[in-house]
Order: sequence, then structure tokens, then C-alpha cells
Amino acid sequence: MGKVRISSIQLFLLLSGFLFGSTVILAPAKGAKNDAWLAILIGGACGVLLMGVYAAIALLNPSKTLVDILEEKLGKVAGTIVAILYVWYFIHLASLVFRDFGEFICSVTFPEMPMVVVIGLFAAVLLYAVNSGIEVVGRLSELLVPLIPVIMLIISLSLFTVHDFTAFLPILENGITPVLKTALSFITFPFGETVAFLMLFPHLNQKEKLKNVVLISAIVSTLMQVLIFFRDISVLGSGLMDRATFIPHLTSLIIPEFNIEPLVDINLLIGGGIKISVCLYAASRALCQIAGINDYRNLTGAISTFCVVLSIWVHESVLDLFSWTEKVWSYYSLPFQVFVPLLLLLLSLKKSKPSNAGTANEK
Amino acid sequence: MFGYILKKIRYSALKRKNMSHDTATDKNYNEPLLPDLEKNLDVIKSILRDSSDVTVHEFNFGHDRRYKGALVFIDNMVDKEEIHKNILKPLMYDVLLLKKDVDMDFTKIDIIRKNLISVMDSQKVTLLADLLDSLLTGTTILLVDGSKEALAVNLRKWEARSIEEPGTEAVVRGPREGFNENANVSIALIRRKIKDPDLCIEKLKIGMRTKTDVYIVYLKSVANPKLIEEIRNRIGRIKIDAILESGYIEQFIEDAPYSIFPTVSNSEKPDKVVAKILEGRAAIVVDGTPFVLIVPMLFIESFQSGEDYYARPFLASIMRIIRFLSFIISTLGPAFYVALTVFHQELIPTQLLISIAAGRERVPFPAILEAGLMLFTFDVLREAGVRLPKPVGQTIGIVGALVLGQASVEAGLISPIMVIVVSSTAIASFAVPAQTDSGTILRYIYLGLAGIAGGFGVIMGLLATLLHLSSLRSFGVPYLWPVVPFNLSGIKDVFIRMPVWTMQKRPSVIIWDNIDSIRQSPGLMPSPYKEDKDDSK
Repeated sequence: MGKVRISSIQLFLLLSGFLFGSTVILAPAKGAKNDAWLAILIGGACGVLLMGVYAAIALLNPSKTLVDILEEKLGKVAGTIVAILYVWYFIHLASLVFRDFGEFICSVTFPEMPMVVVIGLFAAVLLYAVNSGIEVVGRLSELLVPLIPVIMLIISLSLFTVHDFTAFLPILENGITPVLKTALSFITFPFGETVAFLMLFPHLNQKEKLKNVVLISAIVSTLMQVLIFFRDISVLGSGLMDRATFIPHLTSLIIPEFNIEPLVDINLLIGGGIKISVCLYAASRALCQIAGINDYRNLTGAISTFCVVLSIWVHESVLDLFSWTEKVWSYYSLPFQVFVPLLLLLLSLKKSKPSNAGTANEK
Repeated sequence: MFGYILKKIRYSALKRKNMSHDTATDKNYNEPLLPDLEKNLDVIKSILRDSSDVTVHEFNFGHDRRYKGALVFIDNMVDKEEIHKNILKPLMYDVLLLKKDVDMDFTKIDIIRKNLISVMDSQKVTLLADLLDSLLTGTTILLVDGSKEALAVNLRKWEARSIEEPGTEAVVRGPREGFNENANVSIALIRRKIKDPDLCIEKLKIGMRTKTDVYIVYLKSVANPKLIEEIRNRIGRIKIDAILESGYIEQFIEDAPYSIFPTVSNSEKPDKVVAKILEGRAAIVVDGTPFVLIVPMLFIESFQSGEDYYARPFLASIMRIIRFLSFIISTLGPAFYVALTVFHQELIPTQLLISIAAGRERVPFPAILEAGLMLFTFDVLREAGVRLPKPVGQTIGIVGALVLGQASVEAGLISPIMVIVVSSTAIASFAVPAQTDSGTILRYIYLGLAGIAGGFGVIMGLLATLLHLSSLRSFGVPYLWPVVPFNLSGIKDVFIRMPVWTMQKRPSVIIWDNIDSIRQSPGLMPSPYKEDKDDSK
């Protein structure tokens, strides 16, 4: 197992793809309306810090996965319980992305296709991806993730004539509170979700680059989100943006005389695919370590099937899904994304200091 | 648990059976030759069961004809005239030129070889097994009464094809010669291009019954020793009765036997093979076939042609891009058509949509059936055209084009646009010969997915294909290199072909250790004649 290696560029692209994920179709900071860019910037800054925490945990516990760290720092029993909760969290996350994906495809491109077929087909391909190994997913991200900004660029350039660059004014019309609230939800979705990468960081071949990779990818995706927001709001205006379900998709529909809607599908496919496969991998690896199974591939089939079922079953409609994501998800995620990692960081700092001193003395 | 034990038992039973099987077929005649000529001949004859093409010629020689000898060879595999001139004549007549009282014991093979036989390529054999081996590969065996040794004289000659232009890889510019079935000729063709002492040629014999010569050819200072070791291991593993073509070897040494993509490339052209050997790859030459295997293979090699490097870079780059496009058309063409017409009509410009709808008005079948039918017909035509004799093959072409194309449209079975789609797919599929197999299979898979789930299905299929491609490795080399993992100096030769003077390094992924990676000195870009430079001299 220790042989699996991903390069720093692959990790960078995996992280970026993961951060794009379903934000390709859902504007993440929709709640702040005109001031979403502010929320994105604040949330992004905190998100960078949060991902810095994950990187620090990984650096303080080299070549250990999340489960190892939990069991070491919290003790065998408590660590295992928290690890099982994390497995559930990853599975839930994967099935939410599945549902986002399915809802999008079914309401936009294939209105007559049953959602379970869409999600099932996607799950079959991703199962193949995860079974081929995280290395292969990394290599695939090297091939596909660069397409995301290219497609964004194509859409933005084709809309150059319909821009209204003053649409985001006035600033802070509704006060700062909604901005801060939205910023919080932007931290948890998508930045906090990268906690799943704690299962992947041990595979990085150049440990010293981990910090840079994590920070750069977080900053790059924050900036991309801001740019996308400005594009969307200057094309749609705040009124239409407030009512639309899939904002970037609606933007692409406005392109005159040309239908490049499938490009948005492809973006979602790449981002969502990477997100789901990372989650599936993290969940199955974690469960394997907890249960002491040698090969995580024994579990991927079961877990992804469960994800498909869960994704269909967990919400009634797309509106239910969205309101739940907006209202509950960020608070539900906080323990997994912020509290436990902070605790782990503190514990690691505390425990690593004496040992560091010890090694220094030995030298 | 029980299943595991059962499996173990079955495995060990199979192993035992295999072992006994091995000893039963492997008759090894590891006995020494006897000093008695008659007995030796009897043994040989009994082993070969008096095959009609085995010729045994007994004769007496020496001054008073007191020495007895025999020549054993296989008719039609030896040059009888040469045997007469270089073995029989010296032994029987030229020996008389020696003084009668000269002290030479002609029961000693060494003395005969050194004094009488005027052939350079001869070998002493003492074991019956060696004797049979060399006899069956076409050497002439000289046995002498009273000697425990025999002489194997290599005077092979059989009818072979001359060096011709290969049918599969025709070029407009570039050398026309191709390998032929004789491995020695093929190796000579390679050796003639690389006049370097580093060129290594390792010989192996594979096939318990065919005893086919297999050569591994590589440049010692450029090729990675690990790669060569791996090839040696994989080929050495092969235990089979017959190797009839390099395809047998290919299927035993490839990395992904269940993949539709080939991970071992082959070529009939010496210039192509030499170019790849110079990049650090190894060629596997198999006697009996003009197709030489080359490992490792990158996916991108399927889109490169030798001619790309002989022509100037501009057209070569455009042709490269055209090849990529035609591979995409040949695999995705019908699938896209079906997905667009059935699922995504809104993506088609209105004018075109109207004409497509008008064309499909009389067609009774769903689009996927229509496309599948046409593709099937095309594949049947292609297969039939390859197998049939040339004049009939042309007829098939006409029948296919006119009768099936024209008539089926007029009869209302197929829409005219479908004919265009399928025929352009068919033409495009010949632009990338190395991926014809995988392209054909992918075409049907994508078509099926498009029929089931439209563009979404096609994209899912593409995603799975890309996943599969990025998981492939050929002898340790990532299949999609230099795109994944990205390599700047490798990418110069992927989508466009940069000028030759910019490609200074060999592909770094093939020569793992980066030893000797520079293949030309830098700054070789040609420039026009400079006046002032000349003045200063």
C-alpha cells in the first residue's frame, strides 16, 4: 500500500478539481446576493487557513492517514468511533455530490431519464476509477482538470458582449450579517470538505511541497470563484441570479446563437467525478483501516452502491436538497471539518514538541 | 474456506499433471555420439523415422578409400552445389593432392575441418541432441567412422522472399525496404543502419517444437538495463510448443492482456524500428515473420508515422492533428450522430435539423439500429475485401459502395446523412492503423452507450476509456506519456512535430536513468549565410 505515489502536480490538480466540484453548477455563495464576492473572499481566506490546518496535521504526522492520526491522538476506542463517523461523513458527502450531479443532468439535459440510471452509470465509471487506484485518478486529473479553466474561459469570452460590469453594486446593501453567514457556508463547502484529503496526503511523493500545493490550490480556486461570480452577476444581474437554480448553466445558455451547454456538463463531470472518487477512496480506505482489511478495493463496490442509494433516498427534490445544503450542511459539517481537525492539530503540536526537542538533543 | 482449500488441491493436482506432462513430451537425446558410423546413422534414422526429405549420403574417402563417412542433411534446406564443392570434393578428390604418406588421421574431425573442408561456418557436435538441433535447422552433418564427433557445416539455402516494400506501411517519402521472413535479413537491415558497436543482438530459442529464433535488439548505452532484463524475463517465461509469428510473443509479454489497447507496437520497416531503438526501446525480431515487435509502446506512437520526421515540420504537424481528429471521428462519429439526433436535437442548427429530419422521414428503424447496421455492413465489407483475391475485392468495393450505399438510401432503409456519417467514419478509421482494433471496438461500445443514454452515455464511456488509458503501462512506462504525466520535452512531438533540431533529448521516460539522453548538440538551428562572418575570416 505504501507504494502508491502521487506527484505534487497531481495532488494540486486533484485538490483544485475537488474544490471546483459541484460549485461548477451551484454558486456556493448565493445567499449573499450582490455581495457574494465579498463572502467568497472572506470565506476563501478562512478556507485557506483551514486547509493549512489540514496540511499542518499531515506534516506533523508524516505518512499517517486520518484514521491512524485519530487512533493515535484520541486513543483506540474514541479514535475508532470518530473515524467511523468520518467514514459516514465521506459517504454522505459523496452521495450529496451524486445527487447534485443527478439533479443537474436530470433537470437540464435529460429530463426523461430516471435519476438512478444517471447516477448509477456515473457511479459505475467512478467505481472503476477508484478500483484502478488513486494514482490513476491522479493521472486522470492531470488530463482533465486543465479543461475546467479552459471551458470557463470559453464561456466567459463568448459572453463578452453581454456584460454589465456594474451589476454587483451596491456593496453591502443588506449589511454584513448575510455576508458572514454565507462566508461560513463557503468555508464548509467546498474548502472544509478537503478534510477527505487527509487520507490521501500520505501518498504525496514530495512531502516538502505539501504546504505549497494545498495553499496554492485553495487560493487559485478562491480567485476562480470570484471571477465566476463576477461573470455570472454581470451577465445575469442580481434578480435573475437570485431565482436561478443552476446559475453557471443559465449563464452559458445566454451565449447568443450557440449552445455550449454540454461544456458545463463536462465541467461538472470532471469536478464532481474527482470529488466523488476522492470521497469514495477516503471512505473505503478509512473503513479498511478501521476493520483491518488489507485491500480497500473489497469495500469500494459496496460503498459506492450505498452512496447511489443514499443519494436518491436522502432528499425528496432538488429544492429540498438545496435548502438543506444551505441551512443544515455547514453546521452539520463543522465538527468534522473544523473542531476535530483543530483538536488533532493541538494534540499533534503538543505531542510533537517534546519529541522534536528529544531528536534535537540526540543530534 | 472450503473453496480456498479446494482451489489449493486443484492447483497442486494441476501442477503435478503439468510436471508429468513436461517430462513426457521433452524427449531429450542427451547421449553422446558413438564412434561407429553405422550405429550413429541407424539412431538418427530411427529418430527421424525415415522422413523422405532427410538425405543420408555415405561415401569413402582418403587415398585408399579406407575412411568411411556420411553426410546427413535435409533436402531443400541446403545448397547441394556448395556441399559438393566444399565438402565432398575436398574429401574425395582434393585429398589426393596430399602426399600419400602424409601423417593425417582422418578419423579426427578437427583434422578434417582444418585441412580439407573449405567452409568457414562449421561447428563440432558431440551430443546427439545438438546434432539433431543443427540438422533440423538446415545445417549439413558430416559423420566419420571412428570419430565420436560430427561436424555441422552451415550451408543453408532455401527459397525466401526478397526485400520488398511492406504492404502495411507504405510511404511517399522515406526508405521503401521492409523486413522479410528471414530474421537474419531483418537483423542485417537493422545493423546496416546503426553502425555502432553498442548495438546488441541477443538470441533466444522459443518454442519446444518450432525452436524459433527470437532476437532482442537494443542499444546497450541507451536502453535501460532494467527494461532489457524485464524483456528477457518475460520472453524466457514462455513455454509453448510453437511460435509461428511475433503475435504469439506479443500476447505472452504484453502488460495488459485484457485491454483493447495494444501495449506492444510492431513494424515492418527498418527505419521505423531503428528510430525506436535509438530512442532507447528494444526490438524483438522473430524468425518467420516480417513484423518486428517494439517495446515499450506509448499511446502517442500510434499517431506518429516515420514520414512525419522526413517531411518538413509544418505539414507533418498538420497531418498529426488530422490523425488525432480522424481517430476521434472514427471512434465517436456514429455515436455523436445518434446522440445528437435522438437526445440532443437542440444542439443541431435548425437548418441541418430540418434536413436530417427530412432524410429520416421514410426510415423505419431507430437511429441506433440504423447506425449499427451500417457499421456492421462496413466491417463485413472490409473483412471480405481483405480476404478476397484482389480483382474480386474491387468488385466487393463497388457492390458495397453502390448497391448498399445508394440502393439502401433509395429503398428507404437508411437515411442519406447516416451514409455520410458511416462512410466518413470508415475513411477516418484507416488514418491511424495502429489503433484500428481498439477503434473498431470502441466505435460499437460508444454507439451502444449513445443509444442508451445519449451524450451522457458517450461522455461516461469516454471517461472510462481515459481512466483505462491512464492506468495502462507498457513495460513500466505510463501509456499516455508525455501528456500524463506531463513532460515538456516530450510534448514537442505529440500534437505537433517540432523541427528536428529542437528535439535534443531522447524520451526521458524510456531511458529511466537519464543516461545518454542528449541525442544532438544544441544550437543546430540552421541560419542563412552571414556576410560579415565571412569577412572577418
